[in-house]
Amino acid sequence: MRTASTNSAWKSAVFSHEGILFLVLVAEWVFFYHFGTTVNRHDVVVGFGTIDRQFDILRHSCEIGLLALALTPIILTAGIDLSVGSLLGLCAILFGMLWHDAGLSIPVAAAGALVVGALGGGLNALLITWLRLPPLIVTLGTYSLFRGLAEAITRGAVTYTDFPASFLFLGQERWYGLPTQAWIFLAVAALVGLLVHRTTYGRSFRAIGFSPEGARYAGLPVGRRLALVYLIAGVVSALAALIYTSRLGQAKADAGTGYELFAITAVVLGGTSIFGGVGSVTGTLLGVAAIAVLKNGLACLPVVMRMNGAEELSGMLTGALLLLALTGSVLPKYLSNWRASHHSARPQTPT
Amino acid sequence: MSAPLLELRRITKSYAGVHALRGVDFDLQPGEVHALLGENGAGKSTLIRVVTGAHQPDRGSIAIEGKRVTNLTPSAAQQLGVACIYQQPALFPDLTVAENIALRLEPSTGLRLVHWSARRERARNLLARIGASISPETEVRALSMPEQQLVEIACALGAGARIVIMDEPTASLTQKEQHLLFAVVRDLRASGVGVIYISHRLDEIFTLADRVTVLRDGESVGTSLVGDINEAGLIRMMVGREVTQIYPPAETEPGEVVLALKGIGSSACPVHDVTFDVRAGEVFGLAGLVGAGRTELARILFGLTPADRGEILLNGRPVILHSPQEAVAHGIAYVPEDRRRHGVVLEMPIAQNMSMAVHRRIFPGTWLRFGTERRHALDFIRDLAVKAYGPDAPGGSLSGGNQQKVSLARWLATKPKLLILDEPTQGVDVGAKSEIHKIVRRLAKQGLAVLLISSDLPEVLGMSDRIGIMRGGTIAAVLPGKADAQEVMALALGTAK
Repeated sequence: MRTASTNSAWKSAVFSHEGILFLVLVAEWVFFYHFGTTVNRHDVVVGFGTIDRQFDILRHSCEIGLLALALTPIILTAGIDLSVGSLLGLCAILFGMLWHDAGLSIPVAAAGALVVGALGGGLNALLITWLRLPPLIVTLGTYSLFRGLAEAITRGAVTYTDFPASFLFLGQERWYGLPTQAWIFLAVAALVGLLVHRTTYGRSFRAIGFSPEGARYAGLPVGRRLALVYLIAGVVSALAALIYTSRLGQAKADAGTGYELFAITAVVLGGTSIFGGVGSVTGTLLGVAAIAVLKNGLACLPVVMRMNGAEELSGMLTGALLLLALTGSVLPKYLSNWRASHHSARPQTPT
Repeated sequence: MSAPLLELRRITKSYAGVHALRGVDFDLQPGEVHALLGENGAGKSTLIRVVTGAHQPDRGSIAIEGKRVTNLTPSAAQQLGVACIYQQPALFPDLTVAENIALRLEPSTGLRLVHWSARRERARNLLARIGASISPETEVRALSMPEQQLVEIACALGAGARIVIMDEPTASLTQKEQHLLFAVVRDLRASGVGVIYISHRLDEIFTLADRVTVLRDGESVGTSLVGDINEAGLIRMMVGREVTQIYPPAETEPGEVVLALKGIGSSACPVHDVTFDVRAGEVFGLAGLVGAGRTELARILFGLTPADRGEILLNGRPVILHSPQEAVAHGIAYVPEDRRRHGVVLEMPIAQNMSMAVHRRIFPGTWLRFGTERRHALDFIRDLAVKAYGPDAPGGSLSGGNQQKVSLARWLATKPKLLILDEPTQGVDVGAKSEIHKIVRRLAKQGLAVLLISSDLPEVLGMSDRIGIMRGGTIAAVLPGKADAQEVMALALGTAK
């Protein structure tokens, strides 16, 4: 009896979405550890397993990771935000402008960028909750609007560079052993995790995701909760913009192009249902890691390097992984439905 | 007499253990208008679903034109000449009349050329047959409701329908439009078609029908020639059942007025000029037909469709209810009619469902406390005798009656002053039903003001201290609790003098 229950507990942990994703992540890593090689800065061939390589992956996945964290509560409410990547670009440009053109100090300019992020997220929130427009259409609009603004401001030509070293420390150096921005990423992950899993806010997001009408009839402030998730996404996009600018040492209007799709992929890969209600921050973190390792690992496979097709291949494999994860998540349901219909078929026939 | 067009024998159908039809016999002769009458939930819709093949009966036989049919599906029923005209015609508004008719009648397989002139010609012929002066070229959008119904009837004729079911066809028609429709029904009858006519309006039945069958609690009370019965007789058949249920008696004298409505109305729904009050410790029943505005009134009181006329007083003070949050803050709780969509979140555990309206109280500082939530749920599971495997059971895994208890628990947790119950026992098995009645009585005894909306007439009569009868969006009358069922039904139908 006891063994049976512990056995099933062990099984349900492994066969949970997070469990499977973790195994996929380990498999990816082991594969690249065996077959991947790379050249370090001293032109020495080293393997995929070096600590430097791991930190590099972490450093490169912080911005998409932040966007994925911001999208997790949104997708839990059965919403979507396509504008996060564009808002990242707009915030990066305005940060550069505030610092370079307006002559503000870095902290003040950064605060300005965060305010812009909040305003951008607030615009989404306003359109979605006040006018009750569908999030997909609203954020498709702001996706073009924010990117367009960024390009209009710079006329597509201006690039802000020559940021002070103190600012570049954020994106290019290490602090207490980890890439500096990783600390911010982990802090945001912890905050979003607490919000989603440990507060009544997270509970409301799920209720809204499962049944917006049901949540309304339960007296939950549906509009305010929805506004909150889009507002948070705006601020986190601005934070990602600062990290992006610091990592590359430049602010351009095309910053973060296409990031929203990687972020959504990571969230859905992490087991958050696009239909709302179901999902976890742990899943999102694993989803981000699975995509980051895949992308980075492919770049150091010799065969891929010879073909010079790492970008394309990683795009294809990420897509395949996502479709596989989606199939995997609905397959058990179809199987049980199929079984149920086959089992009940016999007694239903007339006697 | 030739074989009847339709003959139903001992039809039985139950949903999740609740009997919707028990051994119903029904027949329809060619050239006959056979009216089907019954309270809400008497089984009319289920019977129609059985005839149109939408649902399969559990037991019993169906014979169409003398031939027994088994496993009737909607398409098979259509081929056998069954057609149903609903209250709201299901036509494509942007297509023309001819196109709509063609969509119904032409097989939709394969790639074929469209014969526009043939389509128009057929539409014109079919419309002419029922004496309708509608151009086949008109877009359906431009047609009035009765004209759309005529198009539906034309489709039915075109498909060779011999059995035409009309489900409350006059509900949204004006007097003049009704006469037009009646003429068409008489033409159908003259051409040998059998019409099953469902309506709440007794005068129509006397004008139009040849025979009438009354359903009550899923059973056929009887079939009579219209000439052999009068209005009072029909009402008696509809409501006159034996008392199958003992209702817990009222034990307390009502106290202070908790809720007072003065001329409440909203332009967003048909509710207007509603005036009544509900006292502490009182169960105030709201009776009426479906569409009389009872749920709409409940939505007004819960802030879902704010009132824009009149005054709402709670404990003597005027209040504005613009959102459910405001209603909850004022001590109003609403257990909605549609529990699967509004009452419980099916995917969430019952513990989370039960805490949903009291987040602030059991999770001070917004941090979730799983232990507190679990204990809160266990208390209600015990108090209301909810049958579930535990607080973690998803709402959707429970039976209807137990879901209703979860929904009730959620709102009792708010410690409301006014509890609105909307069809609390609809689709609930008999055992859970009487448990819910006992709970409601107990709550009233504790000093709660209860507004009980129910289409179950014995329930309203048995449970209420006073009964408000709604008709056409307003209160037609307020009667004392032990009112006469026939009087209530007559007021709800609007046949009372």
